[in-house]
Amino acid sequence: MTAQSDRARGGLVARARTWVDSGGLRDRNVLLLGLILLLVVAMTALDAAGITTGRFNSDYLVGSLINYVPLALLALAQLFVITTGRGSIDLSVGSIVSVVGMVFGLLYVNAGWPLVQAVVAALIVSALLGAVNGVLTAYFGYPALITTLATYYAFQSIALVITGASPISGANIAGLYSAADSIELPLIGAYLPLVPLGMFTFVLPVAVIAWLLLNRTTYGRSLYAIGTNAVAAQWAGIDTRRTQLLAFVASGLISGLVAIYTVAQFASARPDAGTSGAGMALPAITIAVLGGVAITGGIGRLSGVLLAALLIVWLNASILIVVPGNAGTQLQYLALAVVLLGASLVDALPTRRARPGKDPGAPELPVPVTTKPQ
Amino acid sequence: MTTEATAPAGRQAIGRILPPVVTGQEVVLLAVIAVLWVLLGLFTPSFLSVGSIGPLLVSVAPVALMGIGMTFVIITAGIDVSIAGMIMVCSVITAKLLVNLNLPLAPAVLIAMAIGGVLGAVNGLLVAYGRVHPIIITFGTWNLFLYIGYRVFDSSTVNAIPGTMAVFGRGAAGNTGGVPHSFVIAVVLVIAAWWFLRYTRAGRNLYAIGGDQETARLAGISVRPRLVSVYLITGLMVGLAACMTIATGTATLDQSVGNGKELEVIAAVVIGGTSIMGGRGSVVGTLLGALLVQTVRTGVTQLGWPSQLAFLFVGVFIIVAVGTDLLRERARRAA
Repeated sequence: MTAQSDRARGGLVARARTWVDSGGLRDRNVLLLGLILLLVVAMTALDAAGITTGRFNSDYLVGSLINYVPLALLALAQLFVITTGRGSIDLSVGSIVSVVGMVFGLLYVNAGWPLVQAVVAALIVSALLGAVNGVLTAYFGYPALITTLATYYAFQSIALVITGASPISGANIAGLYSAADSIELPLIGAYLPLVPLGMFTFVLPVAVIAWLLLNRTTYGRSLYAIGTNAVAAQWAGIDTRRTQLLAFVASGLISGLVAIYTVAQFASARPDAGTSGAGMALPAITIAVLGGVAITGGIGRLSGVLLAALLIVWLNASILIVVPGNAGTQLQYLALAVVLLGASLVDALPTRRARPGKDPGAPELPVPVTTKPQ
Repeated sequence: MTTEATAPAGRQAIGRILPPVVTGQEVVLLAVIAVLWVLLGLFTPSFLSVGSIGPLLVSVAPVALMGIGMTFVIITAGIDVSIAGMIMVCSVITAKLLVNLNLPLAPAVLIAMAIGGVLGAVNGLLVAYGRVHPIIITFGTWNLFLYIGYRVFDSSTVNAIPGTMAVFGRGAAGNTGGVPHSFVIAVVLVIAAWWFLRYTRAGRNLYAIGGDQETARLAGISVRPRLVSVYLITGLMVGLAACMTIATGTATLDQSVGNGKELEVIAAVVIGGTSIMGGRGSVVGTLLGALLVQTVRTGVTQLGWPSQLAFLFVGVFIIVAVGTDLLRERARRAA
């Protein structure tokens, strides 16, 4: 093997070449981390040169994480669904955010339920909405794109019709705003920037549970298995339908959490919260794909998705203080396009044979990797 | 016909490859639309009138046109989610040219289609040569096109657009004897596309590519040029649809012009019986799908129900339409 003889000769350059040849640069997390570092260094330089309109410092970076919460969570929801394979994506997450937000608003404000009961009920509804997607896809055989396109329309419609398209607000919902506020961390907080509370109350628990589910449970293995090869997974005794159904339920539940976060953030339940403008679903899918989740299924890491969301949120925040106003908002679209297309196209470039065996996405699954002759 | 000369077995094989002239899905759709029109005619006083059907057909036209391109794309097992961005770029540039240069109709339409063609070619080249799934490519270009669109918009609206495009619109200039021009254009192009898919080698190649790209390549089909062409055609159709969008609006164009259009078009295509997995589909179905969606929207409004309720029915129709198709497919496999 040439790679090994290179390494035997030693030398930093040779070693780096070995690493590159074996696909090191193609590791999505390395690429994303590199881009994030590059961004922070470049922005710090610009800040030092006095080009930025605002201060680019840790306060600003951490403060911008308020946009990270919904984006990262919905991208995690896509991770579950896309990993099940056969072109599965969930277009309906934005509509679920709208409906569940309205359900929560109705229960909490109009019906006067206590907070905890209202949250639990809203989450149950969100899981049921996810189950509708899951049953149609896994048990009735609809392609996921069709199912979730249909429910995107249906759920959006329900959210708008419930209250005649008017938002729900009230004193107690306005009080929820503190849940989306920034806080000082206990003990060490005085030395650190204020962190948006949603990072701890929403992102951290979901990320930890999702990571455990994906990497430390039989369910996680089944999920990667059915995405890699559904037929083989079935022969291996995996209930492929149930596995896919649960992925959609997870996606629904996470969307429900985003709904509650969004209600708190805007201090009102808006019927178009998840579907106004370009909607929440397409950006979430974009982030998941940028994070290295293979649209064909079976490959995708939680860390990649979280890093991709971080890159985009910080990139957007950086653009806003270099190019202020409308032009900056517009530039964010270009930046996302360049990063997504660049990362995907570089990833697909033919390189010398990547190291055999270990696929970065699948956690040591004993499932044969199917390779399609090009 | 040359098929007369071939063995019966060969003819049967061709018959199986060729999409039927009218698929079962299209008959079902026609029946559903007919029932809806009769019911709406009974329950609302004004549904079956020129003043109501005319605008309905005008709003079907752009969706059907973009649907032609999207049907081609989906038949090759691809998808194009960048339509919202494309229509924004085409319509805003054309609208600005109309305002600033007061262009006559023909050059304006040609320019809109040329812009659409360029954007579509970008999609096509990236999909054909990029080795990346079309949905990812078009997610990327969707953002790229939004950037271009917002840049050209500059402020939030384009105002005082002259009535050059009125021939495509809802008004008196937009129809002859009660038949809207834009709908006629859509029908003519749908028939042309139907003929192309059914009777030309290039058209049938699209089904082969959707069935299995690698096999199609080994069978001697130039897959990449064909892929570029379907996205290019989608772009051209979006350009034409953008002209109709300018016409159907008032004299102003705002930034929400393309919002949600990609899903609306995909909905029409899948209700029309085109398989999202590729290899199967018809443009006639897409036209009927667009007609069904618009019928529901007009009907809900005229019944005095909340207009957003229409989307619930659209969702249900997608499930029912694709469901009957799934059942038929299962029956065909069993047979």
